Amino acid sequence: MMRKGRALLYIMVCAVCAAFCGCGDKEEAIPMGRYADREVKLPPGTFSYMHPCPDGAYYLYGLDTELTYVDAQGRSREISWDWENNANIHVKYGAGVSDSGAAVFSYTPKFWVDEELEAMWLAGDNCYLYCYVDENGRNYALEPHGKGYRKGTNLNIFAFSPEGELYAASEDTVYRVNVESGETESLFATAGSVESIVFAGSVMLAADREKAYFYDMAAEKLLDGSGVLDDFLSSHSAGGLVMAVTDGNAQILYMACSTGLYRHIWGGSVIEQIADGQMTALGDTQRSPSALQALDNGEFRVMFDGNFMVEMYYDETLPAKPAKELTVYSLEEIGWIRYAGQLFQKKHPDVLVRYETGIDGDNAVNREDALKNLNTRLLAGDVPDVIVLDRMDIEQYAEKGVLRELDGILQPYLDDDILYRNIVEGMRMTKNEKIYSVPMMVYLPLWLGEEMYLEGEDGLEDIVAGVELARQKHPEGPILYTLYPKDVLLQTMPVCLPAWIKEDGSLDVEKMTAYYEAAEKLWELDSAGFDDAGRKSWQKNNTEYYAPTDMDMADIGFNFQYSAQQNFGETWLQFGFMLNPGTGMTKVHVTKQNMEAEWQKKELEDTVTFDACTGQADNVYWAKIIAGLCEKGEEPELAEEFFELLLSDEMMRKWWLDKPRNQSGITIRKDSLEDILDINNVEFGEVMGWKDTGALNEKMMWPTEEEKQWLYQMMEDASCCYRPGTMLEECAMEAGIRVLTGELTPEEGAKEVERKMAIEMEE
Amino acid sequence: MRWRSKRLLFLLPGVSGVLLFYLLPFLEVVRRSFLKSGSGAFVGIDNYRAVFENGAFVLAVRNTFLYMAVGVPLLMGISLVLSMLLRNLLFRRRLVSAMLLPMAVPAAVMVLTLQILIDRQGVVNGVLTKVSEQIAAFSAFSAIDYFNTEWALVVVVCSFLWKNTGYMIILWLAGLAALPKEVEEAAQVDGANRWQNWHYIIRPGLSGSFFTIGMLSVLQIFKSYREVWMVAGSYPQEHIYFLQHLLQNWYLKLEFDRMAALTVILSLVLLAVCLCLQNKLDSCEKREKNF
Amino acid sequence: MAVGVRRMGKAEENKMGSEVTVPAWAVQAYSRWRKRRMAWFAGGICAAVAALICSPLLMIPGGALMDSMEMRRILSPILGEGEGFAVWHLLPVYPTMDHFYRLLIESPAFYQLFWNTAGMTAVILLGQLAVGLPSAWAFAAFRFRGRDFLFGLYVVLMLLPFQVMLLPQYLVLQKLHLYNHPAAVILPAVFSTFPVFVMYRGFTQIDAEILEAAELDGAGELQIFFRIGLPLGKMGVQAAMVLGFLEYWNLVEQPMAFLEEQAAWPLSLYLPQITISQAGFAFAVAVMTLIPALFVFALGQDALEEGIAYIGVKT
Repeated sequence: MMRKGRALLYIMVCAVCAAFCGCGDKEEAIPMGRYADREVKLPPGTFSYMHPCPDGAYYLYGLDTELTYVDAQGRSREISWDWENNANIHVKYGAGVSDSGAAVFSYTPKFWVDEELEAMWLAGDNCYLYCYVDENGRNYALEPHGKGYRKGTNLNIFAFSPEGELYAASEDTVYRVNVESGETESLFATAGSVESIVFAGSVMLAADREKAYFYDMAAEKLLDGSGVLDDFLSSHSAGGLVMAVTDGNAQILYMACSTGLYRHIWGGSVIEQIADGQMTALGDTQRSPSALQALDNGEFRVMFDGNFMVEMYYDETLPAKPAKELTVYSLEEIGWIRYAGQLFQKKHPDVLVRYETGIDGDNAVNREDALKNLNTRLLAGDVPDVIVLDRMDIEQYAEKGVLRELDGILQPYLDDDILYRNIVEGMRMTKNEKIYSVPMMVYLPLWLGEEMYLEGEDGLEDIVAGVELARQKHPEGPILYTLYPKDVLLQTMPVCLPAWIKEDGSLDVEKMTAYYEAAEKLWELDSAGFDDAGRKSWQKNNTEYYAPTDMDMADIGFNFQYSAQQNFGETWLQFGFMLNPGTGMTKVHVTKQNMEAEWQKKELEDTVTFDACTGQADNVYWAKIIAGLCEKGEEPELAEEFFELLLSDEMMRKWWLDKPRNQSGITIRKDSLEDILDINNVEFGEVMGWKDTGALNEKMMWPTEEEKQWLYQMMEDASCCYRPGTMLEECAMEAGIRVLTGELTPEEGAKEVERKMAIEMEE
Repeated sequence: MRWRSKRLLFLLPGVSGVLLFYLLPFLEVVRRSFLKSGSGAFVGIDNYRAVFENGAFVLAVRNTFLYMAVGVPLLMGISLVLSMLLRNLLFRRRLVSAMLLPMAVPAAVMVLTLQILIDRQGVVNGVLTKVSEQIAAFSAFSAIDYFNTEWALVVVVCSFLWKNTGYMIILWLAGLAALPKEVEEAAQVDGANRWQNWHYIIRPGLSGSFFTIGMLSVLQIFKSYREVWMVAGSYPQEHIYFLQHLLQNWYLKLEFDRMAALTVILSLVLLAVCLCLQNKLDSCEKREKNF
Repeated sequence: MAVGVRRMGKAEENKMGSEVTVPAWAVQAYSRWRKRRMAWFAGGICAAVAALICSPLLMIPGGALMDSMEMRRILSPILGEGEGFAVWHLLPVYPTMDHFYRLLIESPAFYQLFWNTAGMTAVILLGQLAVGLPSAWAFAAFRFRGRDFLFGLYVVLMLLPFQVMLLPQYLVLQKLHLYNHPAAVILPAVFSTFPVFVMYRGFTQIDAEILEAAELDGAGELQIFFRIGLPLGKMGVQAAMVLGFLEYWNLVEQPMAFLEEQAAWPLSLYLPQITISQAGFAFAVAVMTLIPALFVFALGQDALEEGIAYIGVKT
């Protein structure tokens, strides 16, 4: 009996072990066939919307261009509305087109040209006006009214049923509007704002971000919803979701969103993905789909806002899943890397770029937890190919052999003088003289103010002296923008922190003490301009309204603008970073201009100027988007190619053309930087806005030739790397605040930091 | 008792699950304690030596030991006294539920309340300062910076007690309820006073519970790490730097080899303690049975 | 048992040397009065302690109803924005349902996560009953070689902090293809040695003679377990279930490590990084988390007792 029992036990144990070891991936035949897309050449004009017609034709319309009809063979015909030139239309907001070419759109008029209109406008609470254009091109004003329609409700989205009835939705209700009389009837309420409407037979399907509504138009009642669709909408609508039904088979619903193309049988319980967003244009998070057409031959047309349309077709010759996968990891989402990922994907259709972020949205996972998860993966052998090391401890990962040495890859770049050498060299580890990561962008620290204060400053003492001088001349009001003790530290620590670590890796306590003394002085000087009550009331104001983030504070010129806006007073000196070569320089110019403006109450004694900021460390740069390659990644050659793409001119140019006002930093690639700042470069110039960008009324004030040379020189000189998010910085901030509030003396503060770091170094 | 094969069924599912999800991972940890993190090379007992020579390790062990030496007896004592009082009360269940509530609060919120109360400029200091202004006897009191001085350990112990008292009370009550009532009643009829009741009847009967609750208190001490970490970060004040901090920081630095070595050391210590106590317990029980 | 005995009426004896005994009803009344006084005294202390323990929790409902501006104002010293000390209002001056609105109406994710938590906890507790309960009984009732060692091993495995088990368990779950599936959290929890440990204690209290007698009477293993073991050890089972509920209701580390799919997360992972000034929302979440716990305490314990009694009767 006993033996039998024991035997059973042993068998059980062996079975468990076998199951444990035996589980593994088996070789499978590679399935073929997936959707690919080709770009469709659009007729001239800027279009944002598409209305699909039953026979494979479609209408294109944009808010600034006229209606264009494209038939199934691709021939286009513009339908011009002559009256539009004389019409009083300022901005169009939403539009809808019917199968027969009738259209309706909402707009706001140029109310200032007409007194009566202006009065009506001001009384009317900024509501839209509507215009209906019939098939023959004649326009009528459409004034919705009726029981159930509250005057002034804005209708945001319009859709014509196949029979020509107009349905419109506001933020919370769907209406049917009679285009001739304007009689509006409210049909049903929605939880949120409806984003997409399709018609199938006699049923209208309207979808907002949480729920799908089925409305029977003949019977005039709301049908039961679909739990499956609701769940899907709640989780997939974020980047824009569009729907379509094919004419032939009205029972099938297609949906397109950033994660892909999906198919759902009406009334069924399954939503099937037929195309993966990542491998098609749908996955491009820079664009969102605005319309979908399902063609009879199994192809799809997807229209994106921004004048871009693709046709998706099924290609049997492509593997269902790309054979290779490139994994890119960063702690937090970085738009630049995602952009690079999509660019790489387009160039290599046989590779799937998987971009993973440690902190995914706003939830309980904080930095340490995300790093724990990453380390678990690394220790388990699941290593990403490319890793972006912002806010991570690069030395640790390098020491443990996670990162590859980049000297070999970087050699040609340095030899040909493509990158700024000193910046790259600044990333060289002191321990073994090798480079493991490179920042793709940098921020540069600046000071801005009158010449006599900080011109020629060469260190922390000069800064303090400059602020002292400023305080002597201006006994009241702010000098710097320091509302809280933390602000002093935020402004000065980045240019001092790199100097606190000695060659051998230990802490330089004297330098830290000196820093705290200087910070204390600065805080005292700045506080001297206020009495207690003033500062408290200002702090109260700050907490109750907008409180600037640390990134805001880092932006040069922000302090001046913000403190003036908040009636704090005008600051005389600012410290901050240049976050973008074009807009950064603009901010400098704008601040300079504002300081010198005649309507300012202060009198300047000297020209306002700016220069690189030197603290205890010289030639500091703030490293951003620090990319490295992992040693044990699965696709080392692809990783190298990706890395080269990141450093390529193409990537830098595309990024800047697409997003000229980004705050990603200044590129470390010399030729790209010169192109971006080249005022005669037509391609860049327009986009970067060195001309007046009328509608937004913001002039980019371009750097002069002298300033450009200054910037290039600064980039050449920058050699001392500052990386935020280190343990040292955190401890120093905490201790610093306690020093400035008087709790600790500077020596004690430095000692406190040393103590905390001691444990860390012991470990 | 004879061994019957049916009895195997009682144990089998549990053991196989424990084997798969706990023992196997533990063996993996043991294996890795002899390898170097990163390269996977065999380094013998180098890792163990590195752990023992590590200054942070010494600090952490000292602190953890102090925490346990103070926290566990206090917790056990307080909860025992309370459960003795609660034993025969009518509203026992409601009161116990009330005392269990702190455990049901999510950790993030508990940390928030702690920060609000215990910050240097927090509510507790505010109240104490007011009190010291009013009452001459306390006038020497000044606001204590709890997080940055040795008081941090006091705060940690107090919040440990606050959170876990209800937990232990439930267990004590379970242990007390199993004591045969007849013996106690007989003793009372005979006129035994309360101390004698305790010493001769209850205490021996509870020796098993002592072991259980002691072990669970130690478990709760290990688990209390997350709240301490959320309040004070990865490198807190010296006195509240515990073994779990060290383990987590080593993990964040990818030093799994030392983590593994420390784990093995820890488990050996715990195993020894546990077996020792169990032996004592068994002999205690035997004595009690003979009684 | 040698116990010192004290006779009632001793004082009378001393006084007069005669053997006048006090009437029985007086003695009983006196002892009842004493018992009641003790009970009140004990109850008083316990109530006071319970109140002390619950007092910080009183901050939570008040905080959930407090709007952000008031919160920032009274907490401004802590936020480094002022001198003096923070105060706390038990009831906010300007109560607002904003936080609850945001939580219950504007966050559909909340309901999803709530049911995730509830489902996960329920499955885990049931699994522990199915697996851990027989194991505990086996350790308590059966003697076999290696029992002590195995039990000691159980205890050590229970005590190991999750940080160390994180990586190896991850590897095991990967091999079993369970990663990113709720089973990755549920299965290890079901086989946890913690409930075994707690329930074991409940079972060891049972007299061995009763079991022997039952065996001699010819009862089968299962019968002994269900009819004798379970009812007698029910306090241990209750304790294990309540403590298990508390632990898994607020489980944070395992889901964070093993569940990538955010839709499968429990409620404990919902709260974003809260700065003190946005504490109102966190408090609202805490209220919503505490209410089910209260329900479970109130109803669950009774249900558990009845369930055990029912099983004991039926088999």
